[in-house]
Amino acid sequence: MPATDNQGSFLNRISIRRNQVADPNLELEDLELFQKHVADRLSDLLPVPTPTPCPAPAPPPAHAPAPVSSTPKNHANNNDTNTDQPSSTSVDSPSADHGPPPPPPMLSISWFRKLLDVFLCCEAEFKAVLIMGRDPSQFCKPPLDKLIPDLLDRAIKALDVCNAVTHGIELLRHWQSLAQIAVTALEQRPIGEGQVRRAKRALSTLLTSMAFDDKESNNSSSHKATERAWSFGRRGGGGAAANYGHNPKDKTAGTFRSLSWSVAKSWSSAKQIQAMSSNLVPPRGAEAAGLALPVYIMSAVLVFVMWSLVAAVPCQERTGLATHLPVPRQLVWAQPLIGLQEKIGEEWKKKEKKGTAGLLEEMQRMEKVALSLVEFADSFQFPLEDAKVEEVAVQVAEMADICLKMEEGLVPLQQQVREVFHRIVRSRAEVLDVIDQVGKMSTPVPC
Amino acid sequence: MEYCESETAAAESEQHLIAAAYHIVKALGASKTLNNDMKRILTDLDVQLSKMTAVQENEADRTREMENKLKFAQRKIMSFQSRSLKIWDLGPGEDYGYLKAVDEVRRLAEILQNMPSNQTRKVKQLLDEAENILHKAMARLQEELVHILSKNMQPLEHEFVLLESCQVASLEEESTVPNEDESFEILSQRGRRGPDCEQYVVDLVHPRAIPLIKCIAELMFASNYDKEFCQSFISFWKQALDDYLINLHVKQLSIDDVLKMDWKRLTYRIRIWCRATRRIVGFYLASQKRLFDKILGEFGSTSSSCYIETSKASVSCLLNFGQAVLICPPRPERLFCLLDMYETLSKFLPDLGDLFAEEAGSLVEIEFHELLKRLGNSAKEIFLEFGNHVASNTSTIPFTSGSITHLTRYVMNYIMLLVEYGDTLNSLLEEQNLENTDQFSQAEVSQIINLNNTSPMAHSLKSVTSVLEANLDTKSDLYGDESLKHIFMMNNIHYMVQKIENSQLRWYFGDEWIRRHVWKFRQHETCYERITWSSILSQLKDDGSKGKAMLKDKCRKFNTAFEEVYKSQTAWKIPDAQLREELRISTSQKVIHAYRPFASRLAKCCISDKYIKYTEDDLGNYIWDLFEGSPKSLNHAKRR
Repeated sequence: MPATDNQGSFLNRISIRRNQVADPNLELEDLELFQKHVADRLSDLLPVPTPTPCPAPAPPPAHAPAPVSSTPKNHANNNDTNTDQPSSTSVDSPSADHGPPPPPPMLSISWFRKLLDVFLCCEAEFKAVLIMGRDPSQFCKPPLDKLIPDLLDRAIKALDVCNAVTHGIELLRHWQSLAQIAVTALEQRPIGEGQVRRAKRALSTLLTSMAFDDKESNNSSSHKATERAWSFGRRGGGGAAANYGHNPKDKTAGTFRSLSWSVAKSWSSAKQIQAMSSNLVPPRGAEAAGLALPVYIMSAVLVFVMWSLVAAVPCQERTGLATHLPVPRQLVWAQPLIGLQEKIGEEWKKKEKKGTAGLLEEMQRMEKVALSLVEFADSFQFPLEDAKVEEVAVQVAEMADICLKMEEGLVPLQQQVREVFHRIVRSRAEVLDVIDQVGKMSTPVPC
Repeated sequence: MEYCESETAAAESEQHLIAAAYHIVKALGASKTLNNDMKRILTDLDVQLSKMTAVQENEADRTREMENKLKFAQRKIMSFQSRSLKIWDLGPGEDYGYLKAVDEVRRLAEILQNMPSNQTRKVKQLLDEAENILHKAMARLQEELVHILSKNMQPLEHEFVLLESCQVASLEEESTVPNEDESFEILSQRGRRGPDCEQYVVDLVHPRAIPLIKCIAELMFASNYDKEFCQSFISFWKQALDDYLINLHVKQLSIDDVLKMDWKRLTYRIRIWCRATRRIVGFYLASQKRLFDKILGEFGSTSSSCYIETSKASVSCLLNFGQAVLICPPRPERLFCLLDMYETLSKFLPDLGDLFAEEAGSLVEIEFHELLKRLGNSAKEIFLEFGNHVASNTSTIPFTSGSITHLTRYVMNYIMLLVEYGDTLNSLLEEQNLENTDQFSQAEVSQIINLNNTSPMAHSLKSVTSVLEANLDTKSDLYGDESLKHIFMMNNIHYMVQKIENSQLRWYFGDEWIRRHVWKFRQHETCYERITWSSILSQLKDDGSKGKAMLKDKCRKFNTAFEEVYKSQTAWKIPDAQLREELRISTSQKVIHAYRPFASRLAKCCISDKYIKYTEDDLGNYIWDLFEGSPKSLNHAKRR
């Protein structure tokens, strides 16, 4: 993968620098820079409309810019072209003449793509800080001897979340195609009953599927729900599908279908997030100055990213998903993280009351428009007066816009989640390699 | 189907005509003058038009005619739909009748839509009605489609499945757990050399249903209900693939689950995975692709995007399991599983390109390649690490009775199993060698190749056994008894030679290696004989001393020495019967050969039997008790 190559060269550069200058102060400086970069990147995601943006991450002294300027290239390969196209989703460092692009709406698809970019950047820098040029024996001494295994364990848990999210995005694409049917139907002129009913059928399936996903969170024996979430005209089309479950003649409806699950049957995304954050303790005292801090920061970012994905995208079993992760407020770098967290947490609380399939901005809008279009369909009478036609046209246009956003964004987002998956796997292997080396150093191999 | 085509053709030509006429009108509007040629053609047209009175009839008549047609088609459609039975079940002919009626409605709706006067209330109403009927019919067709598909799905229990189903029994989770020792042989029975499945294609749906399904597809696509068709089609096949995987015992597992699995369950899961991957990639996906192309081939990229959509979830279930296995700690016993997985995937590598050709599929293909690469790397790493693993096996107490150590057995059985994967491992190791040679100049490369004219696998295997020998050497130092040390080395090297000589391993090690090692264990044998027996037997030599007392003393000393050897060496063990026998024969020959002249000297000097405890035969017999691994003592015989 091209990402690896880029990153490799970037890490090499850092290691060369380190080897040349063995200055203990540099290490400290690295840690500070890392904190600053994490904070800066996360701040970019905050929706705060500051008219004069804070002095844009000024290029730090000669040896430091590597992480900032080269990391964004890591994700540039998301676009098929390797040239850095100015796109709303990329986190390319703002060029001098144009101001930074306005942040995409919070929790939208492009916001998440940006979030994942931020994650990948932080991760690359973290690895550089953690591994490159370090004395590997540190890994086997306190506090790292305990923190590193925890970190690796968290990484594995994150992999399952990635898989669940990938599956959730797949479900979103399914919903998108249902919404697309409604758009196609209602874009026809004149709007006739047939097309209205066609749209309604698709939208009802969409809403039922969304509701099932939501209900699923509260129902432990809900494997049918997941299956239902995917069905459209399966073994009896659309509206009939609901009746099919109760039809004793239909052998298939009741059969257990484990593969509709994203991960494993009993897997719960809420519990997974819980497990990831449970042993996450900020370093205290002297530890806070050493490598324990970046390990903590990276873990907090990882948990946050996974948590927000779970909250946004339909995910298996979300009951009891935490609304807040324990990150101490006094840490400077943590401010933007806490800010983001609070915003999403509030949204999640609202969701729990209202009941939607997830916090993803496009999805929430889709649900709203779908509900209103179904209402329209219910009250539809044939020749439609012009005012009504206008009104519907606006909604259909919005739905078309949502569909377009999904069409453009979901597959890349899914790819990015996959990239995060592979990155985590690779990094874990790299850390294990280092630990392995330490092990070998202590037991010399004969011949 | 034919009717579908003819009707469509009629509608099409009508549209062409309209388009052409528009064109003429437009062109006439644009130009101010007409030349003679143009005039002539237009006059012709005028004559033609005046002949076609029907077309020029007034709108009302036409609308009425449409209305009648619509009513007729509607009645037909409704009569079908009111029946609770599926139309497919009514029998052949009926279904096409229904499709024809629906197509008629579709065509009418299209004409109504394109009528210049579609603003009139009547036409609007008719259009609305037509679309309404069409919508109902389309919903019904979706149901029919799924019904037809499920009625005509072909069972996948062809010979291939049957053949392997008997192996499923041996795949059950209860199968024996490999433990540290010789258990790897169990692994080799895993049936990986089962029926090789070249990629082939089966009919997932009975061929008789294909034309009808295709017709439904054409009708729904023509009616602009393509998305609905695809949704139904995809969700049906998605489910079918899910079901198939479940039948293959595949389970959706989280990575956490896989990591927590014990070795036994994990191997079981891996075997399931290999089998499922062989089936899915080997023939199911190809069959599915063919079906999709048959039905949807005419609609551009729809076929492939539907196909990817359908397979994605199940394929990623397989991929994720592979990734999860790779996350597990790389223990040596995992090597076989990883190689199994690697071979399973690499066999289908050329087909993957076809299966996931389009853009949407290329991601899946990349994932497969990535997984394959990582499986290969991980396997290679474990293999290359194996030497270290062997080296790190140390102990502080000598192995009892000088027999073959567990480590020796483990290593030899391990590498014996590897032979089965020889080609794969060779290619994996070669890859690495090529990577390494990047740094060398051309001349150096050729030198390396010359030095390395044996395969990299052979090289690695030899290095593993030399690590083992070194390890054994270190272990042999733990023995206080020099003779036992040689017995130990002899036993273990002999075992290695045996294993290599009598298996495919010999091709990797070569005659030279075998000769050298036979010599080695023979050498240890000789050393043993020398150390144990030389000093004892040297006492029996005729050194010219004639004194009775002297002889008596010699006799006593010999007896004690022999008894001691007997006592300790009956407890030693040579597991290999032939080797044991050989050593006993050669030992007893030596002993008897030395003892015979001594005994005759004793007889000459009339030394009493009290001193001569053993006859030649006795000694021969007693030597036969050595190396059995059960300690015995000659003390009881003292008073004889």
